[in-house]
Amino acid sequence: MAGNFWQSSHSQQWILDRQDLIRERQYDLQVLSEDEYQKIFIFFANVIQVLGEQLKLRQQVIATATVYFKRFYARNSLKNIDPLLLAPTCILLASKVEEFGVISNSRLITICQSVIKSKFSYAYTQEFPYRTNHVLECEFYLLENLDCCLIVYQPYRPLLQLVQDMGQEEQLLTLSWRIVNDSLRTDVCLLYPPYQIAIACLQIACVILQKDSMKTWFAELNVDLEKVQEIVRAIVNLYELWKDWKEKDEIQMLLSKIPKPKPAPQR
Amino acid sequence: MQKYEKLEKIGEGTYGTVFKGRNRETMEIVALKRVRLDEDDEGVPSSALREICLLKELKHKNIVRLYDVLHSDKKLTLVFEHCDQDLKKYFDSLNGEIDMAVCRSFMLQLLRGLAFCHSHNVLHRDLKPQNLLINKNGELKLADFGLARAFGIPVKCYSAEVVTLWYRPPDVLFGAKLYTTSIDMWSAGCIFAELADAGRPLFPGSDVLDQLMKIFRVLGTPTEETWPGVTHLADYVALPSFPPITSWSQIVPRLNSKGRDLLQKLLVCRPNQRISAEQAMQHPYFTESSSNH
Ligand SMILES: Nc1ncnc2c1ncn2[C@@H]1O[C@H](COP(=O)(O)OP(=O)(O)O)[C@@H](O)[C@H]1O
Ligand SMILES: [Mg+2]
Repeated sequence: MAGNFWQSSHSQQWILDRQDLIRERQYDLQVLSEDEYQKIFIFFANVIQVLGEQLKLRQQVIATATVYFKRFYARNSLKNIDPLLLAPTCILLASKVEEFGVISNSRLITICQSVIKSKFSYAYTQEFPYRTNHVLECEFYLLENLDCCLIVYQPYRPLLQLVQDMGQEEQLLTLSWRIVNDSLRTDVCLLYPPYQIAIACLQIACVILQKDSMKTWFAELNVDLEKVQEIVRAIVNLYELWKDWKEKDEIQMLLSKIPKPKPAPQR
Repeated sequence: MQKYEKLEKIGEGTYGTVFKGRNRETMEIVALKRVRLDEDDEGVPSSALREICLLKELKHKNIVRLYDVLHSDKKLTLVFEHCDQDLKKYFDSLNGEIDMAVCRSFMLQLLRGLAFCHSHNVLHRDLKPQNLLINKNGELKLADFGLARAFGIPVKCYSAEVVTLWYRPPDVLFGAKLYTTSIDMWSAGCIFAELADAGRPLFPGSDVLDQLMKIFRVLGTPTEETWPGVTHLADYVALPSFPPITSWSQIVPRLNSKGRDLLQKLLVCRPNQRISAEQAMQHPYFTESSSNH
């Protein structure tokens, strides 16, 4: 599914309004500050990334899983489903949709157990508590909350195109690709179409690499530059937040503040 | 499942059973496709997921609409718009006679649905009369996207895939792995011939070899000259060299000459020479007045 973004469910149902997003979060934001809320999502984006890498998934699949995760909580409080259960469920669903081939559920659970122990013990002192049946029930619930919109457009493809059009080299692509990955730790994937995100990431990369000569190139693009600037700001804010954040020391406290999750819904 | 009342069974598929159903509130008739969730490891089967996510994106009057997805304990139900019957059952009711205007209208609708899929980079991959739904008012819709996929990706060998061979192109029968839209165009050609012959299948092969023989007896056996690269395909086998038939009027006697011309542009062994859905829709066969000659 490429092209035709404007007719897609992504464009028609899942480019959200910032005010709506803030309203949906009111419940969680009574107990968490906005920064804390974002830090929790940064943490789980990392969890999804590490799980995906352990399962040898392509970045596209990992990105899709992360977007599912964010879309779910755009409509739900953190208390509805434990994010530690939703994260691997998003991976399972994304790998099926992106046709990576099926990951067996038992393998997924085994990887979760080992990753939590080896990479995230600073956040979780106990074992990964979920089993296959939890993930399968959660998959239904996720599917329903996504309203079955499973095809997600990512900024990677437009980014490749843009860098090619610019006639630019590897270095710029590598850096802007990483910035796209980082952008998944902000809300931009819920608020803006992917090609705008690609342009914003490319612009940040050009600033970092001091490619001033590209300014006119950007100015000539047929794109809403105000939107692009909003995206740039969101990503720059992320880097600011990141700079001073000691995840290892603070995450346990943050996780304990999450409104208490109910067990997986019994359906 | 409160929302829908289950009525009689209308079909049995590879991953579930299809029932007629009625929306209790609106009394609208729908089709309910129940997906079995085996107690195995996979969760929602990827074929069902593919169908769900592709149909969510493909909204067109020649593609069956997915209204709803329902989850209940260990079951997943896809709710579709209901159609009167599938094309296979329609063929069975024909007694060997078909109105050529109907044939042409069905073919055009099939191409429209396909062109839409292909413009969204989706391959159907399992086109056959059982997967085309029709209504009494003459509409035709593509259904069963369980094998459909976004294209361009090489496919792993699906050993469990036991879909019928009759609509499979020679390149795939020879083991070509990179699927493109041409796979659907071949199937469309087979279905076109079948429509024109009131439901008699064109190439009803019994196994891969028999399937290839049936095709080559009509189209001629391909060679490196007519199809560069054919002998290097993974499952290539040398077969007797048949010449192409000289007259298509034996194969599809009721089809007019423009129709036969379109058919020949669809049924081309070499995949990249097959006509596209978009081009096929523009073929003079569809613009002429309704004469049969
Ligand atoms: N929307 C529908 N309206 C009427 N009949 C349908 C509908 N969907 C499916 N059927 C019937 O059920 C059969 C199986 O459905 P299909 O979607 O092809 O499932 P499978 O993937 O299991 O083959 C079809 O061949 C057709 O006869
Ligand atoms: Mg079918």
